[in-house]
Amino acid sequence: MQVWANTLASAAIYSLVGLSFSLLYQTGRFFNFSQALVITIGAYAMFAVVSQWQAPIWFAVPVAVVVAGAFGAAFEIGLFRTLRRGNVGSWGLLLVSLGIYTVLQNGISLGFGDSTKSVRSGVVRVGHQVLGAFVTDIQIITLVVCVGIFALMIWLLSATPLGRAIRGIASNPDLCTVLGINSERTILWAVVIASGLGAMAGVLTALDTDMTPTMGFPLLMSGVIVMIVGGVGSYPALLGAALLLAMSQHLVAYYFDSKWMDAVAFLILIAFLIWKPLGFSGRRLKKVEV
Amino acid sequence: MEYVLHLLILVLLYGMFALSMNVTSGFTLLISLAQAGFFGVGAYATAILATRYGWPLWVSMPLGMLLAGLVALPVAFVALRTVEDYFIICTMGMGVVLFSVMNNWIELTRGPLGIPGIPAVTFFGYPLTAKWEWAILAGAFYTMVFWVTRRLKQSALGRVLVALSEDEIFCQSLGKNVGLAKLQSFVLGAMLAAVPGALYAHYVSFIDPTSFTIHESIFILSIIIIGGMGNLWGSLAAAAFMILVPEALRFVGLPGGIAANVRQMLYGAILILVIWLQYAKPRRSSRVLRPQS
Repeated sequence: MQVWANTLASAAIYSLVGLSFSLLYQTGRFFNFSQALVITIGAYAMFAVVSQWQAPIWFAVPVAVVVAGAFGAAFEIGLFRTLRRGNVGSWGLLLVSLGIYTVLQNGISLGFGDSTKSVRSGVVRVGHQVLGAFVTDIQIITLVVCVGIFALMIWLLSATPLGRAIRGIASNPDLCTVLGINSERTILWAVVIASGLGAMAGVLTALDTDMTPTMGFPLLMSGVIVMIVGGVGSYPALLGAALLLAMSQHLVAYYFDSKWMDAVAFLILIAFLIWKPLGFSGRRLKKVEV
Repeated sequence: MEYVLHLLILVLLYGMFALSMNVTSGFTLLISLAQAGFFGVGAYATAILATRYGWPLWVSMPLGMLLAGLVALPVAFVALRTVEDYFIICTMGMGVVLFSVMNNWIELTRGPLGIPGIPAVTFFGYPLTAKWEWAILAGAFYTMVFWVTRRLKQSALGRVLVALSEDEIFCQSLGKNVGLAKLQSFVLGAMLAAVPGALYAHYVSFIDPTSFTIHESIFILSIIIIGGMGNLWGSLAAAAFMILVPEALRFVGLPGGIAANVRQMLYGAILILVIWLQYAKPRRSSRVLRPQS
């Protein structure tokens, strides 16, 4: 039972990261690794606000989201937008985002130190017992927040003008430009929203298991795997993929050893690329069918 | 003098590694992030054979190459079904899996503890311990790997690889077996990566899995991007640049804890800068029509 409780909490985080990454990938059309940094920045911004100003956490979380959004927007405006005009191709943008990640992740290491930072205060409580599993407060909060955000995002993407513009850019950027949608501005909005979502994921993870300067990368990789397994362009399928990933990781950790969790995540990715390269949803994608 | 020779040896080892990366990625522009894993397979094969069974480099290195090739074969079959950024993600996954195996298969690799005490290379019963002897050894191997890579670049296979990086479908329409060519270059690149891996294990005499992470793959990738994809002399110059510039930081007198971070930041910044200089295009005013030259 404990395994399932942990699975649900992990799946909530993974689906959040997967959703944010899916937004980034569909609009920007490259694997944006600076998102790993944005996740970390979210967590550390919260830490800075809480430890410097003694502010309560409910105040620190929105600040973290805004700071992360600002960083995401800065990368987009400062680097990616100009490079995209130069026709560098998706691999060049990917490498630049890796470069950003390397520079600033080490910057965070220098600024805050490599040690684990925590914003949890007071004694660690055992947690509630639900159906024979121990569930902490923060796991319940994570689950509720993630489901809420996911529902909100689905509404945003399907019912608002901005959401429609984002989906339009995702499916056909040239046609959108012809129809008068400002693609650069739409991409920027998508980046800001995705950064906010990433920061939320970072904050929730940090509240649950504390933070290190490299915490963003494994989270982002789960997000990438969720996006590919779920299928690019389908949002509900992300939930299924996140559940599958979280479940297999926790089952492996339970029956074998938690040290194989990373390897299992990538083995799932590889298995999907072999047998079902389009993911659950089966949308067509040129890159996997040459 | 010892220090200069040490740097020379490092440049030659990483130059070899960059050459192998050129075979895998430089010609085809299919960027693989599993390369450090194959480097690690070569290093571990040699280290384990040398410390447990006392096998000399001359036997263990070919075995390491063979093993790297055997590991690379299924990886290539899977990864080459994808292109561009999916290929990068896929090979990155392979890199993580290889690292996990090195880190977690304690019985074989001693895991995070690493393998200490790898003996010196013996040359007809004469142990090579001095730095200048090592420099000659590394130079000899560098020359061999360089020669192989150069021959490959000029061969029919090399031409197909360069052609398919420009237009894969057109290349296929000319009757070239594109899939086979990519498979060959991937496996060959992995086998060549095992050569500097084996030498590295013997040279530093201690290896642990942290030397073979994704970050190492990114480091070697930055080298071949700076040197120019597929440019063989360029990758030697870039390897020298990427190793010597952080060494200069040593003389600035940064404390040890900070130096590693600063070096990583430098690598990241150089990677961004190189791509930026090559591709960035500032906004042009759309109202002004420029005369066609």
